[in-house]
Amino acid sequence: MYQEARHRWASSTIKTLPTSTATIVETLEPFPYPNNINNSPSSSFFLPLTTMSNGRDRTSEFQTTVKNFASRKNGFDGPHPAPLNRRQHPQSPVEQRGVFMQQAKRIGHDLSQTFMKLEQLSLIAKQSSLFNDKSMEIQDLTLSIKQDISNLNRQIAQLQQYMQDTHGSKSKNTQAHSNSVVFVLQSKLATMSNDFKQVLEARTQNLKEQKSRRDNFSRNTVASSLTSAPSAINGRPSVLFRDESRTTNGGDAVIDMGSDGSRNSSMRQQLQVIDETDTYLANRSEAMQNIEQTIIELGDIFTQLATMVRQQEELVHRIDANVDEATQHIEGAHTELLKYLRSVTSNRWLIIKVFAVLIIFFLIFIVFLA
Amino acid sequence: MKLLAIFVLHKEDDRKVRILQSEFNLEGIGYFQQRIVRESLVFSARTVIERTALGTRRSVEAYQNVNGKKNENTSVRPDDLASVIVHASVSPDGLASVIASDSEYPQRVSHTLLSQVMNDFTNTYPFTTWVQMEEQTGKLASLSESLRIYQNPHKADPLMALQKDLDDTTDIVINTLVNLKWSW
Repeated sequence: MYQEARHRWASSTIKTLPTSTATIVETLEPFPYPNNINNSPSSSFFLPLTTMSNGRDRTSEFQTTVKNFASRKNGFDGPHPAPLNRRQHPQSPVEQRGVFMQQAKRIGHDLSQTFMKLEQLSLIAKQSSLFNDKSMEIQDLTLSIKQDISNLNRQIAQLQQYMQDTHGSKSKNTQAHSNSVVFVLQSKLATMSNDFKQVLEARTQNLKEQKSRRDNFSRNTVASSLTSAPSAINGRPSVLFRDESRTTNGGDAVIDMGSDGSRNSSMRQQLQVIDETDTYLANRSEAMQNIEQTIIELGDIFTQLATMVRQQEELVHRIDANVDEATQHIEGAHTELLKYLRSVTSNRWLIIKVFAVLIIFFLIFIVFLA
Repeated sequence: MKLLAIFVLHKEDDRKVRILQSEFNLEGIGYFQQRIVRESLVFSARTVIERTALGTRRSVEAYQNVNGKKNENTSVRPDDLASVIVHASVSPDGLASVIASDSEYPQRVSHTLLSQVMNDFTNTYPFTTWVQMEEQTGKLASLSESLRIYQNPHKADPLMALQKDLDDTTDIVINTLVNLKWSW
């Protein structure tokens, strides 16, 4: 670690040396380390301590800082000196715990950062407007999140491996604790991957809706889409056979194949691929929507029909009532006429009266006027 | 609106394409041109599948005149050439199917038919025999059946049939409304 620190310090000086010699020389210190620790090629980088006009000698501070770094960063993701150290000084259980905890802390820190990135991504992916297209950012974010997830995976696997390696020197409680820590980290990582997948699915859903809205403004007939110039519309990766609902499985395939669910062609495809699966699916969904629309209109027409029939109901009622009344009246009239007819036909006294009147008149008119 | 042919093919790893089964319906074409058209359809099916990646579908327009020469995907379109549209679908397992139709046939119906043909084929012949199958072996009985039925897409495709029924119903209801208007 000391060697590495010296490397860093020395290389930075070499880089900045051409630009401002004076300041570099002021802050440069000799390395008063005993040479028997490590034979390093950096011994050639010892620069003499020249006159320091307005500089300060911070050698002791530097040494203490280096010592702090060495003790803190004694983990297993350091460069080459780390395994050397471990071979030379086998770690005590306390040191192992310290190392384990530090690594777990680091993993947790990375996890939280990736979570934040994921939240950002989900925010951006959810907001969708036709004109403010943020696909570049989304792709960048997606790539970085993917790298982070793989890194975290690797680190957790390393942690687990480390735990297995130092198995013997721990008590039962510490073992249980380490197990649970690793388990918690893994479960957090799993939830994050799930969220990532859901965000990608939401993003593809959004893309579909955007596309359909865009189609509303620019009518794109089937024939023109057939003869359109080849362009990388969508390199949507592998579609499960025999599965009509391809979009729901698009997210799985996306994660497996290492490409995002938006418009990038997947990494294994070198050519530009014209895949009209989503055109076909869009056509189908459009046909379904048309049918739905037709059904709704049909329902509307039926409603209108019912309204019109109901409006005429009142008239029909009146007609019915009038017809009933008329029938009743006619019945009554018929009965009266029948009664009268009966009375007329069965009254003999009436005939005599009628004839008497006739004869009287006949007598009057014929006898007295002739 | 005609369907000219249905093919079932197998594509191995982006390289070889073998035609497993095919059915033709070339009734509208003169007798002496039928052989030429058949060969050109076979060739175009093979070529399109060779250039289609696994797990994708596409529709390609192929111009051909009566002499049997063919230009695919040219940007200049002469007016006196008939055009055949080749609908192709390749599943991720390597099974592919191609339908050749004229330009009026709806694209969605043909892709539905492609999926259906592949499903039937997979149900009839198990997955393991695909790689060993020679060209033009066996006959899937439903191929010629579906070719015949789908000549009239309005009846065969469920979505279109539904749409047609709905349109007819709408007409009838509107007529009823018009007749009802006599009362005022």
